[in-house]
Amino acid sequence: MNLVMSSLLFIAAKFLSIVVGGVFAGVLGSLTGLGGATVLVPLLTLFYGVPIIYATGASLISTIATSAGSASAYTKQKITNIKVGVGLEIATTTGAIVGSLTAVEVYDHKLQWIIYVIFGLVLLMSLIPTVQRGKYEVPQDRKADWSSKLFQLAGSYHDARLKKQVNYVGVRWWLAELIMFFAGVISGLLGIGSGALKVLGMDWAMNLPMKVTTTTSNFMIGITAATGSSIYWYEGYIQLFLAAAAAIGVLLGSFIGAKILVRITNKDIRWIFFGILSFLGVEMLLKGLITDRILIISSALEVAISLIAAVAMIGGLYVKNQRGEKIAS
Amino acid sequence: MLRTRGVRRLPRDVNIDRIASYTLRSGVLLSVSFIIVGIILIFVKGEASGYNISQVSDFHNMAINSKIISLSFSGIGAGLAHLDGFYFITVGLWVLIFTPISVVVLSIVTFVAEENRLYLIMAIIVLFNLFFAMLVIPRLM
Repeated sequence: MNLVMSSLLFIAAKFLSIVVGGVFAGVLGSLTGLGGATVLVPLLTLFYGVPIIYATGASLISTIATSAGSASAYTKQKITNIKVGVGLEIATTTGAIVGSLTAVEVYDHKLQWIIYVIFGLVLLMSLIPTVQRGKYEVPQDRKADWSSKLFQLAGSYHDARLKKQVNYVGVRWWLAELIMFFAGVISGLLGIGSGALKVLGMDWAMNLPMKVTTTTSNFMIGITAATGSSIYWYEGYIQLFLAAAAAIGVLLGSFIGAKILVRITNKDIRWIFFGILSFLGVEMLLKGLITDRILIISSALEVAISLIAAVAMIGGLYVKNQRGEKIAS
Repeated sequence: MLRTRGVRRLPRDVNIDRIASYTLRSGVLLSVSFIIVGIILIFVKGEASGYNISQVSDFHNMAINSKIISLSFSGIGAGLAHLDGFYFITVGLWVLIFTPISVVVLSIVTFVAEENRLYLIMAIIVLFNLFFAMLVIPRLM
């Protein structure tokens, strides 16, 4: 075999390994509900040695692919509330512009470590509401407020599992709008969908049923990411070869994840996934601190600290959640 | 429920959710096809836009990225005509970016039909933000 041939094979293997990484990120992202990009950025930066600029660029693109892919299934079932989605997108798209322009400033000043640290913190914090979600399928009724009427937040959908039509009224539109602005900023800054924050905005602030929240958030993620992507594009944050591999991989992975999700009966398996995610979160945080020499430790110690912190965090959340379920039942 | 009187509905056979769903799905399929063709072209030709395949696949090179792509219609047309892998990936990625946007455009159709002025304005603001990010900000920077 000549030299040209072997280097071509090497590059093909490199491409496929990124696709595989994308599949892994897509599966994990959809099983935990955090989205593929949240897993992809740590994966690419920590294990593939990709510069964080290109990692976030590729992730933002993959986010659009998965959002559009799964939204196509959800909108057909008429669960997605397009009105809530469009109304809140005013805030997410504005936030995405602010966030991606901030990213441009950060990278122009070579302050990459800030992105690592914020990414780690956001990843760890978004695990908490994600873990605690899913206790109630349909929220308890709240009194409609002025925004419910003005912004026409009443809706209904057919719940296949509960076998009934669920009617709901959203409240506190203004509060959700505020949270969505921050979700947009995070999305533009870190190149992720920030679905956890979007869900928080609709779940907690607007008191919408979980199915409506998840599907509407998913629909919004694509438009938010599209806003950030165009700024990333012109700034040159998108490495075409990498973005192509990542988009295909994550898309594939999220389809596989959605298929697995239906079959998973043992809820405890999900704790392993949350464990992996919190490990990645702590690693990102430490990597940022080490890059800026705020923290000087060996890489073995770095991994050890991440492992211990991850186990402690997931253990704590697991115990807290189990206790909560016992009280509830 | 809140505005039942005076609301004009779309004809029954026009199902906006279904159209949105098909738009999203075909957008993703079209995009992925362009991306795959682009990757195949890069491997077959061993280059893209004059860079050899090791440069193309080197993600530590901070010079070869989306910035070198000419996004004008003539630029894209020429890139596609020359079977340049980079331009096929570019078209794929931009189809992907426009896919969720097309659903906002579709929602405008619904809001016009329902005479829902408030949401019509809100959807237009969202589109304005999108195009502000695409057309205005790049010129300011």
